[in-house]
Amino acid sequence: MRQRPSLPLRPALRTPLAVLSAALLVLLAPPLLSSGDGSAGGTHIPGLRFMVPNTPGGGYDITARTAAKSAEDADLADNIEVFNLPGAGGTVGLSQLVAERGNGKLAMSMGLGVVGAVHTNHAPSSLADTTPIARLTEEPDIVVVAKNSKYRTFDQLLADWRKKPHALPVGGGSSPGGPDHMAPMLMAKAAGIAPKTVNYIAYDGGGELLASVLGGKVAFGVSGIGEYLDQIKSGDLRVLAVTSAERPKGLDAPTLKESGLDVTFTNWRGIVAPPGLSDSERDKLTGLIAKLHASQEWKDAVKRNQWTDAYLTGKDFGRFLDTQDKRVDTVLKELGL
Amino acid sequence: MTDTPTGPGGPTLAERLRGRSELGVCALLLILGVLVLGDALTMDTSFAQRGPVGPKTVPVVVGAGLLVVAVLLAVDVLRGGRGEAEGGEDIDLSAPGDWRTVLLLAGVFLGNAVLIQPLGFPISGALLFWGSAYALGSRSFSRDPIVAAVLSVVTFFVFDRLLSVPLPGGPLMGVL
Amino acid sequence: MDSLNSLLDGFGTALSPVNLLWAAVGVLLGTAIGVLPGIGPAMAVALLLPVTYGLDPTAAFIMFAGIYYGGMFGGSTTSILLNTPGETAAVVAAMEGHPMAKAGRGAQALAAAAIGHFAGGMIGTILLVFLAPTVADLAVDIGAPDYFAIMVLAFVAVTSVLGSSRIRGFASLLIGLTLGLVGLDRLTGQQRLTFGSLQLADGIDVVIVAVGLFAIGEALWVALHLRTRPDQPIPVGRPWLGKAELRRTWRPWLRGPAIGFPFGAIPAGGAEIPTFLSYVTEKRLSKHRDEFGKGAIEGVAGPESAASASAAGTLVSMLTLGLPTTAVAAVMLAAFQQYGIQPGPLLFEREPDLVWGLIASLFIAMGLLIVLNLPLAPVWAKLLRIPRPYLYAGILFFAAVGAYAVGGEPLDLVILLIIGLLGLLMRRYGLPVLPAVIGVILGPGAELQLRRALQISDGSLTGLVNTPFAVTVYVVIALIVTWPLIRKLLPRRTEARP
Repeated sequence: MRQRPSLPLRPALRTPLAVLSAALLVLLAPPLLSSGDGSAGGTHIPGLRFMVPNTPGGGYDITARTAAKSAEDADLADNIEVFNLPGAGGTVGLSQLVAERGNGKLAMSMGLGVVGAVHTNHAPSSLADTTPIARLTEEPDIVVVAKNSKYRTFDQLLADWRKKPHALPVGGGSSPGGPDHMAPMLMAKAAGIAPKTVNYIAYDGGGELLASVLGGKVAFGVSGIGEYLDQIKSGDLRVLAVTSAERPKGLDAPTLKESGLDVTFTNWRGIVAPPGLSDSERDKLTGLIAKLHASQEWKDAVKRNQWTDAYLTGKDFGRFLDTQDKRVDTVLKELGL
Repeated sequence: MTDTPTGPGGPTLAERLRGRSELGVCALLLILGVLVLGDALTMDTSFAQRGPVGPKTVPVVVGAGLLVVAVLLAVDVLRGGRGEAEGGEDIDLSAPGDWRTVLLLAGVFLGNAVLIQPLGFPISGALLFWGSAYALGSRSFSRDPIVAAVLSVVTFFVFDRLLSVPLPGGPLMGVL
Repeated sequence: MDSLNSLLDGFGTALSPVNLLWAAVGVLLGTAIGVLPGIGPAMAVALLLPVTYGLDPTAAFIMFAGIYYGGMFGGSTTSILLNTPGETAAVVAAMEGHPMAKAGRGAQALAAAAIGHFAGGMIGTILLVFLAPTVADLAVDIGAPDYFAIMVLAFVAVTSVLGSSRIRGFASLLIGLTLGLVGLDRLTGQQRLTFGSLQLADGIDVVIVAVGLFAIGEALWVALHLRTRPDQPIPVGRPWLGKAELRRTWRPWLRGPAIGFPFGAIPAGGAEIPTFLSYVTEKRLSKHRDEFGKGAIEGVAGPESAASASAAGTLVSMLTLGLPTTAVAAVMLAAFQQYGIQPGPLLFEREPDLVWGLIASLFIAMGLLIVLNLPLAPVWAKLLRIPRPYLYAGILFFAAVGAYAVGGEPLDLVILLIIGLLGLLMRRYGLPVLPAVIGVILGPGAELQLRRALQISDGSLTGLVNTPFAVTVYVVIALIVTWPLIRKLLPRRTEARP
């Protein structure tokens, strides 16, 4: 450290001066270092922040960062700060969001996983406490087996599964309550199999699950479609069914409905805001997301990430959240969670 | 420890106290064991379980292990066994423990946890550094606060601005 | 050789001035980020992802690779100097590295770590070039019973780090296992030891435990017994590795990849278990076993080499299978998808320029990193010359920054302090802290794999021993455990030798 004995100050003055300059530094430097918040015209919401309720690199994180970047590139916003508040499947972030009542400069990216996590964690706040803004994207789940599996069609698999559900381990990339857990449980219910007898094995994401499916450790895997496209194209994985209502583009596999199971299921992601917003605050956020959704930048990003557009706003999104919540609740109750 | 265990006939009072203080570790392990076992046994296990190992099994094994180790350690301590305090370059075991410094450091650290959100990181971080340095014997009042403030502000800048890992900026953020 | 030709083409791509520049940027960023507390390579790549949209994919991945390997180099720096590991791969580096630094051998510890990373990364990347498809096929066959067998092996190895008092070592291990239990059960979603707190639902991070026990615990323990003597800076010592040290380190450097590379490639691999296994292996094989815990250079060289080799192994399964085995790989996979590239079985055919350019750039990044880090070692070591109050205040400060930066939760700071106080107590009463950290690493993994294996076999215990791999590992364990007995039964001549 530098000592400055030549300073023409009496020692008695040095201490208060040092403390004073230190105090000024910590108080004033941070706000002065931060760039100005810019103009407030049009869709621009100065100081808008996106909360991500899971870790960097996860699904909600990429959704939020992509949305922020696209909005900036399309000149709909100046500088949206994206921050992570991970924990308990997104419910830590959700609780924080609900606590920020009336804050019109905050939004959170979320999805079906948060709905389940609210139940499994017995979280104090639920999505009904938030202001729904919009659903943005969705992704169907697929039922996959390795290329050397004895199951060639979904019917063969279903026949065996009905006979001895406990002997067919089902792998999924999410913990209980998450999307990959919900899908096989809903399938089992529709097929007349008690969800409790389903031998579900939770893996830490689609990657870890992939190895188990390829290696034949589980009878079949249930996961999001995007992660496995390449393995399907190369023939290492065989898709037996997709969970969406219609066959997705570029994938030759029957839907569950075509296979005789009356289930449709998609994993989706969207944006919610804190409760207690004024109408104008809510309209401003919804307006920003509407403009974002219409922008070329966002359309390119959706294409680049191989997402499926599933735009739904405001009250409709609120009702959708409600039905999703009920659906998850029934399944988890039956499982005793 | 520098003193050697004496025969069962005549331990001094100080030695007996020192021997007993290690029983506190046994008590801690015991409490921990009871806590783990209690938590495991009150767990609701209606969820489908395959085979002999469910969500309770490992906590029960760990809890029981804690109880066993607590008892074994207590026996060892009562027989005169003694944990060897860790030595090191900066450590002088012959001096009596300076609990005041430890409490001061723990207090400063806790203060940082409490103040970081209302006052912001630059202030709470600077207080943490200065307070710790003070507790550890640094008495340069003209230098320490400046060092602490600069370190804290630079760290804030690197994390919040350069890496966009948000840290709370303080009460004046958005005002200036 | 086919792959050799492709690799040469790859060097052509990677050695273009622009790509070379990005490699350098990545390496510098990675080292800097590795040194910063709380930000591991995974977070760094995720944060930089939006910035790289404008780059072409090859340049972006060359930069990411530099950050990944650079983060490994930088991560061990704080472990060694400040006893504050920034990420799980660097936890083991603190165990021998920090005592070395305190004894004035910080530069040697840093150099041993840097060369270890270089050797591990180089060997790992060479294995990546030639063995990628084979290793990838084998990795898929490793299942839950095999993982559990490896975990049992690791638990057997823990006994060699329990310290002089077995009971106290076990007490420490059980404390670690207890900390590892906290959180939502991954298979059934049951709350365990969370006391209704959402913040505890994800469990307590290994890094928080390691920083709490190592850094905070040590700072408080030193404060309790601070040597009152005229302020004497820690000696810096010789900056380079001497002949005696090189003789002790070259074997660990070469052994590290043998442990690290396969672990990186398997789906539930990561760097924690291989670095720990490398540590105990070096301890067993070392002629200076008594120095372990007080600053044995083998304990830095081996694990660091294993850590970098496991990073190369991670890339094998990511590039050939599209299988992310660590958080960094998962983020890089997301990055690939951003560019509309799907890593997986078809990647080598579809994007040969990108893949081989990336692999070539790994070699270049390694070269840049060793050139950057070796001269830096003595410079970093001089950091320890600052006065003691500043040194320990700085350790507390950076530990707090790291714990807070990850989740933005003041509660994490309180947990860190409580674990730090636990570390103080353990030091006071001679409970070794290492088994506790190992317990947090191994406990949850072992339980998960055990229960997963039993679920797959629908509850039958034969599910634990139904693969040749698992059986082999159990035979090895049986041999290790019974070895002292066997040795007694063997003819005398083995005992005649000292």
